[in-house]
Amino acid sequence: MDWSSWWETYSTLVLSIGVYGMLALSIYLTLSCGLLSLANAAFMGIGAYVSAIITLQYEWPFAVALLLGTAAPATVALLVGIPVLRLSGVYLAMATLGFGEVVRVVLLNLDITGGPLGLNGIPPLTSGWHVLLALACTIALLQAMRRSRIGRAFEAIREDETAARLMGIATDRVKLLAFVLGAAIAGLAGGLNAHYTFTLSPGNFGFENAVDILTMAVLGGIQGLLGPLLGGAILTLLPELLRGLQEFRMAANGLILIVVVLFLPHGLWDPGRFRRWLKK
Amino acid sequence: MFAQQVVNAISLGSVYALFALGFTLVFGILGVINLSHGGIFMLGAYAALFLITRFEIPFWTALPLAMLAAGLLGLLIDVLVLRVLRKREAPHLMPMIATIGAAILMTSLSQGFFGSETRRFPLELFDQESFSWGPLTIPVLQAGITALSVLLMLLMIWVLRRTRLGQALRAVSESPKAAALLGIPVERLFHLTSFAAAALGGAAGILIGLSFDAISPFMGQPMLHKGIAAIILGGLGDVRGAVLGGLFLGVAEVFAVTFLSSEYRDALSFGLLFLVLLWRPQGLFGASATRSA
Amino acid sequence: MRAFHRPLLLALTALTFSAAAFAGEIRIGLAEALTGPASQYGVPIRNGFLLAQEEINAKGGIDGNRIVLVEEDERGKKEEAINVYKKLIFQDKVLMVFGPTLSNSMFAAGPIANMARVVAFGTSNTASGITDIGPYIFRSSPMEADVVPVTLKAAMKHLGLHKVGIIYGNDDAFTKSGYDVFRQALQAQHIDVVDTETYSKGDVDFKAQLTKIKAQSPDAIVCPCLSEEGANILIQARALGIKAPFIGGNGFNTPKLLENAKTAAEGTIVGSPWFDGNPSTANQHFIAAYRKKYGADPNQFSAQGYDALFIVAEAIKKIHLTGQTDRDRQALRDALPSVQFAGATGHFAFRPAPQHGGKTGGYDADQPPFVYIVKNGKFALLK
Repeated sequence: MDWSSWWETYSTLVLSIGVYGMLALSIYLTLSCGLLSLANAAFMGIGAYVSAIITLQYEWPFAVALLLGTAAPATVALLVGIPVLRLSGVYLAMATLGFGEVVRVVLLNLDITGGPLGLNGIPPLTSGWHVLLALACTIALLQAMRRSRIGRAFEAIREDETAARLMGIATDRVKLLAFVLGAAIAGLAGGLNAHYTFTLSPGNFGFENAVDILTMAVLGGIQGLLGPLLGGAILTLLPELLRGLQEFRMAANGLILIVVVLFLPHGLWDPGRFRRWLKK
Repeated sequence: MFAQQVVNAISLGSVYALFALGFTLVFGILGVINLSHGGIFMLGAYAALFLITRFEIPFWTALPLAMLAAGLLGLLIDVLVLRVLRKREAPHLMPMIATIGAAILMTSLSQGFFGSETRRFPLELFDQESFSWGPLTIPVLQAGITALSVLLMLLMIWVLRRTRLGQALRAVSESPKAAALLGIPVERLFHLTSFAAAALGGAAGILIGLSFDAISPFMGQPMLHKGIAAIILGGLGDVRGAVLGGLFLGVAEVFAVTFLSSEYRDALSFGLLFLVLLWRPQGLFGASATRSA
Repeated sequence: MRAFHRPLLLALTALTFSAAAFAGEIRIGLAEALTGPASQYGVPIRNGFLLAQEEINAKGGIDGNRIVLVEEDERGKKEEAINVYKKLIFQDKVLMVFGPTLSNSMFAAGPIANMARVVAFGTSNTASGITDIGPYIFRSSPMEADVVPVTLKAAMKHLGLHKVGIIYGNDDAFTKSGYDVFRQALQAQHIDVVDTETYSKGDVDFKAQLTKIKAQSPDAIVCPCLSEEGANILIQARALGIKAPFIGGNGFNTPKLLENAKTAAEGTIVGSPWFDGNPSTANQHFIAAYRKKYGADPNQFSAQGYDALFIVAEAIKKIHLTGQTDRDRQALRDALPSVQFAGATGHFAFRPAPQHGGKTGGYDADQPPFVYIVKNGKFALLK
């Protein structure tokens, strides 16, 4: 098969790998300071809806749409994050799950979002280089952060929050930064996604999707940036590879989650393990 | 109409309460949010359906058998998954993620084996009768469910407060390590709890499947969300709180329909969950100190 | 000896060479939700298609060409629908694509086919606006907007409606668009809506909403719901002592409703493009053949899938296939609108979609619906 027909067939899949890689990175951010947030699907939804409404109804440029689609969920995350991040552990997970459901119900009941019918006929604006650029910027930003004091603060909080606070780290602010930045990345991914799938409905951003995103990060591992990207790529390709399994395709997803948690607690991409292998 | 809505609220609330009982028990003792509880709930209903339609076993025999099957499934998850994570002292996110995986696995397998269409128990099984009391109609089955969830709650509270088993369980829930030092067979109690909670979840699935005639591979997920709301309203890990939280959620939902509009009902239950977590993480009815971790 | 031999030989040749007996293959894409919650519609649709494929090929295919359905599972998800559409169109080079199952998935995948100039043919998409996507979009499922006014008119004549209550699922595109259409039709026919209630997917307890509707004592309850929830709503309404009859949308129109709701369904009025009691030979043949092949009763979705393949077969008969994908695809697109067909769902024709702002749309179904009423546990035509 020649390149152009290959691209025609698989472009959506390739774009999805990039977009889901970004989503996995967005949840990696919160996970890397020890927070389990199930709100990223909702932030993706906010970004997708905001940018789609802008291109669809106001016909503003795509760049403006993406920018606002990034800023809107970040703003919401800031407002929600301040009270919610006081919680931790399962309480935080449950609160963010509740928040995600509230967002879904709001999207269902607003007129501007088209209710359950969602938005249709969104212009096909996303092309390969948009996703590539967005992904590259995200990776560059996160990589820079990892090497900075903030990155070390993330790690300190994940290891022991109380100790981190005693060390003089402004834990509340650092956690809020991770939460808001994660929301921004998820929103950008949502905006890109909306413009190559042409349609949005509130059902695309529910609990199931939050879990999908989480699965990607957990599968890939959060020891580095490559882990989430790898997890995103695998889980995007998996349904294609497992077509033969028919009804039992989703079962593979469930099994992966269990197996990874049990046997690969650091995910697939685990530099520590690789080093141990090399030493042997 | 108001009186009827009160009846409706209690009947809906008992459904949530029944589901929440086992769900909260696992958190109380194991400290784990078992997100596969919805899957166990669903498979319990299918097990009973299978026993009744395939083997033509009478309901009252099928109920304990299906509960046993659900309980064994819960035990299996505990032995294969949760125990491994406990041994490793994995961070609290891990069991949550693993049980999400188990839930997906259960839903997908049952979809593959049973198909995705909605099934129901043979209608002849029970009279879908309701008795009238003045202007009120009270479906018999649902009155039964209400009575049962209150009964089970009282039984569980009695076991936890008044028996030696309960004493041991409470010790485990306070600190498994300290309990182990006291010679309490902690692992066995974890297994027992997982078994009992899953059996309760299975029973909830059967009874709810019976009274609403809607058994499908997807019945667990919405119930899981309501269950989460219920146990958070009532205070995580609190048996009495789970029932009160379930009832409260039922009342809130029915009254949202009655006095506001049904469109806001779901936003209300999740908004409540959200607010309670921020304002009173220990739950509406819990008196214990804040549990923020 | 010779008399014995020849048929045997013939039968043997037919058996071994049945594949080779065809001049060529016509590959047609079939993208339906075969897994996930939407598979409850996708699987019956696929079954209808496979039955039609079998029957057409058993009669020698189309002009000696065998029909090959290339099946793909789109899982009821929009991204999957797009991926599957692209695979079928660009890789498998199919002549055209049937599906996807849900209206939302068609909104996502339809533009792909339209841009590639390939016919996308929905058999189960009833939402408004589907065929606005472009001139390559076809559907054989009548819009709710066509069915509902006919249903209401018949119901009004039968019941003398003045005021109704409504209950519907407000988190689902199918039930919500059903509701929108009912509301408009009710307004047009000057029927008061005294109470509107909603529920969400997966709900099992509807008593709070029904109690509220009951307090307004409506003449009938309009329920644009799917049959799963519908059956429960009927049962719980009767348990609460509601006597008013129900009027349903497309989702009510399945034998499952009667099977599940039993006596609670008595008096329910439904409009539908397919009627299992339709005595036409095409329909009775379809029902018998479906039962034989699958051991289960067909529903509206399988009937529509079954008919759709015959509709396309009629169009293919009219064109000359060249083997050049682009030319054949365009020829099919041009031949399809004029096809008329009498199948399991009755008489069928296409109708150009109304134009919006100078954009050319595709083709909707032009098919008179049946209106029926549940009597003694069976669907009977409402005269």
